[in-house]
Amino acid sequence: MAHGTSLQYEPVAEIGGGAYGTVYKARDTESGQFVALKSVRVQTDQNGLPISTVREVALLKRLEQFDHPNVVRLMDVCATQRSDQETKVTLVFEHVDQDLKTYLEKAPAAGLSPGRIKDLMRQLMCGLAFLHSNRVMHRDLKPENILVTSQGQVKLADFGLARIYSCHMALTPVVVTLWYRPPEVLLQSSYATPVDIWSTGCIFAEMFRRKPLFCGESEVDQLGKILQVIGLPPEDEWPTDVTLSRKHFPSLLPRPITDFVPEINEQGAQLLLKMLTFDPLKRISAMNALEHAYFQDEETLT
Amino acid sequence: MSNVQLSTSAMERLVARRTFPLYRRTTVCRNLFGPVDHEELQTEMKSKLREISERDQQRWNFNFEANAPLDGVYEWEEVSVEKTPVFYQDSVQNGRTIVPETPVKKRPSLDSVLPESPDNMDVLERLAVPESSSTPCPVEVNQENRTDKLNSGKPAHRQCGRQKKTTTTDNNTHITDFFVKRKRSADKKTSEMNACHLSKSPISLEQTPRKRIR
Repeated sequence: MAHGTSLQYEPVAEIGGGAYGTVYKARDTESGQFVALKSVRVQTDQNGLPISTVREVALLKRLEQFDHPNVVRLMDVCATQRSDQETKVTLVFEHVDQDLKTYLEKAPAAGLSPGRIKDLMRQLMCGLAFLHSNRVMHRDLKPENILVTSQGQVKLADFGLARIYSCHMALTPVVVTLWYRPPEVLLQSSYATPVDIWSTGCIFAEMFRRKPLFCGESEVDQLGKILQVIGLPPEDEWPTDVTLSRKHFPSLLPRPITDFVPEINEQGAQLLLKMLTFDPLKRISAMNALEHAYFQDEETLT
Repeated sequence: MSNVQLSTSAMERLVARRTFPLYRRTTVCRNLFGPVDHEELQTEMKSKLREISERDQQRWNFNFEANAPLDGVYEWEEVSVEKTPVFYQDSVQNGRTIVPETPVKKRPSLDSVLPESPDNMDVLERLAVPESSSTPCPVEVNQENRTDKLNSGKPAHRQCGRQKKTTTTDNNTHITDFFVKRKRSADKKTSEMNACHLSKSPISLEQTPRKRIR
């Protein structure tokens, strides 16, 4: 495929492994398509790559075969052994110019139209429903890893990678945002696909507000901020296997969500509440969310 | 109670088999394909890996090893991270400082280098396998990384890399070391596998595929 004779290219210096600050991006001169490289360094032992990494990559490759419109294309995975202890795994992704964070920042002063928000949300939910039906959860959904193409197409990114590099993230001083984390994760209870619905709920609200809904500074603070909005759940909804007790929090009553997201319409508010449900088992699923009345009546896209 | 008894005796049999693999199993095991030339295997794997790397390099006209673009269909450019979504940034600065529990790797002794090569080299081979998770790893199903409290400040290296600790703790691994250890940790699949690879006896070679079937 790529054996053509030399065309023009940008000569660049070797930035060396680990250099960050730059990203390699390329244009396929045949198709005009853009790709970008993302490298992940994986510690290896005498058995090679950790089996979890291998499994994860295999999964990503398998998902790729579905060619889902709301998931970022993974074009290739290239592994190079750097040393006995380290393998560099380079993922070749399609390149999309902006993520939802920038998209929201760049939105006109008046904000996004309700129709635009609905369209973004529907695409987001489609992508999620696809991942979840393939037993993949994102676990760290936030505006930064939701890509939005210039045509307004939503593409989920960064899912499944968590297992590949979470160990590194945990050990590097990178601050991981808590703002989109659901109660069960903050409480370190068991969790599954509903985590992504919670995060999507936060993002849904943020599309209207254009600032995050819950900006906690620590796990406890984050949970406190959440409970100030959704209220303290009944005792039986509080997970039993956690160290942080329910008594730790004041008994708060739920406040109307429209206090925090005034522009949302009634159906939107209903859906949002179903997404921001404390109990993950009672939280709406991506599949059911797509069936929700909010998505049924069309608004004109602007 | 009978259940328990049964499983204990089964366990004993297992342990016995492991302790005296040669004596107990000679009649059952067959060495179907002759002894493995580990050196040759290693060389083959290396050349295969190189082949794959070259193919990658050609496909993308990018030297992944040197991290440098080459001439070709793809027009590479280096863009600053501010101009590109955060997602594309390399996620790891450098793991080197980390490692405490990811076994600070010992240089394998000659003993272990050869037999381990099959596992060592098959990075890409393993990637090519459509789904190797037919043996589900209990930690993987959706609830993994629970201990991985990213913000708690507690380093969560337990989740990193191999879940099972390498049985090898010293450089001079002798096969007998394994037998002793394996008696204690009869449940560790990895150690079983390692032991299989480590053993140069053709007998245990036959065990490998069988273990994998589970």
